[in-house]
Amino acid sequence: MEPQEGLTGRPDNSGIIVDLGFRTILDLLPCYLSIQDRSLHIVFTNENFRKDFGEGIGNLCHMVYKGSSDICESCPVQKSFKDMKVHISEEDVELSSGKMAQLIVYSAPILDASGNVAAVIEMSTNITQVKEIQKELTFLGQSIAILSHDMKNILEGLQGGAYVVDEGIKDGDMELAGKGWDIVKRNIGEISTIAQNILYSSKKRDPKYQKVSPEEMVRDVVGLFEEKSSALGVKLKHRSNPALPVVNLDPTNIRRMLHNLVWNALEACKKDKEKHTHTVVVRSDFHDRFHFKFEVEDNGVGIDEDAQENIFKEFFSTKGSEGTGLGLLVVDKIVKAHGGWVEVLTAPGKGTTFRVILRIR
Amino acid sequence: MEDPVKIIIVDDNTDYLFTMSTFLKRNGYETLTAEEGQKGIDLIEKERPDLILLDVMMESTYTGLDVCKKVRTNPDLKDIPIIGISGMADELGVQVEKWGDEDYFKVDEFFDKPVDKEKLLPRIKELLEEGLIKKGKAVRIGGKLYPKK
Repeated sequence: MEPQEGLTGRPDNSGIIVDLGFRTILDLLPCYLSIQDRSLHIVFTNENFRKDFGEGIGNLCHMVYKGSSDICESCPVQKSFKDMKVHISEEDVELSSGKMAQLIVYSAPILDASGNVAAVIEMSTNITQVKEIQKELTFLGQSIAILSHDMKNILEGLQGGAYVVDEGIKDGDMELAGKGWDIVKRNIGEISTIAQNILYSSKKRDPKYQKVSPEEMVRDVVGLFEEKSSALGVKLKHRSNPALPVVNLDPTNIRRMLHNLVWNALEACKKDKEKHTHTVVVRSDFHDRFHFKFEVEDNGVGIDEDAQENIFKEFFSTKGSEGTGLGLLVVDKIVKAHGGWVEVLTAPGKGTTFRVILRIR
Repeated sequence: MEDPVKIIIVDDNTDYLFTMSTFLKRNGYETLTAEEGQKGIDLIEKERPDLILLDVMMESTYTGLDVCKKVRTNPDLKDIPIIGISGMADELGVQVEKWGDEDYFKVDEFFDKPVDKEKLLPRIKELLEEGLIKKGKAVRIGGKLYPKK
């Protein structure tokens, strides 16, 4: 094909312009295209590339893509220079808009007349959305694994409780039957918590913002746990900064989020056999000028270092036989949907504070 | 009269401790319970049970694995049969045979929650018999167990 610039088309049989010139075709390609020399300097780019990464020509590939002076670990271009084959890699890059994106990158050698690699052509596609779907699927898989674990524990509780009820009735021992019945009821309560969490973790929905007072949220949730906390002998308190303004939140979601954190805090206290008195404090306060925070503090067992690393990353449950790892997963999801973040302060054996930071809006 | 057979249950779920010990008591066993690893170890050392039912995924300072290790590395306790129990066995791919790599992590049997009680009872009986043979308190002749004087 003759190199041509611009639209020099002529109508073909169907009347569609076919001859756009190779440069225009390259520019129109819905992907990023660049050609690089052996030192990874960019010598050619298409329009899509220039649009998202700037001019690029004359600059180092890794500088343009990642702002990094280091060559990417899995650089496919270098590989194509070396073995004259096509290579594929996935890279996290930064667009000139400042946004991060994930690319799938293909590289292929361009040979000169004597069959040596003169340059490498690189074509990449933005797969950020695909990756997000992949994450959702992983999330789903993890949720199901956690769920199956929870269900098994609940079944154990229901079967065991029902057995004790039966034995009590058989012997006319109503006290025993009553104990069994309490266990059955506790496990029914667990099912309802899990069912709600499944709902929250499976639905992808944007928060429905309403003007609410964070203090009211805290008071609502603390109220829900009065019975459970007194049954466990845990003091449950709430403290809110009265100066906090009314903010835009999705109250149903935030209530769910706080519910899960308080539930976890109570469980952490229940597991701790070292201290004599246990307290859970739920707070709302300013974080800085633009943000406010919810805090759920307990003096329970704390989270050990291994588990800390995994706590949100892998949606890890540390609760052993009583785990509802889904709880934190839902917290993470709700907070992220609100554009906030979670901080965890914990000391094994001493206690944990979960701090949820949200923008005041 | 012979001493009743003593089983120690170690699990951080107190409901489970109650239901399982009710079940075992009603099937003729004496049971003792501990809701935490360290307490479990202390109880085992003090009481020398005939069998241990151990939650391996327990989250306490001493986990189920620690308890198992303590028992298996103590010459006086190492032959006590241990039944490992967890709600995570399937998810983690935990199987009895996989536990053999490290001697002290070795349990004799593994049950997933919810525990199939119909299968648990005969297995407890078998393990108790094996325990007696190991201790030299009984011999098996022609499939039958005879106490050794």
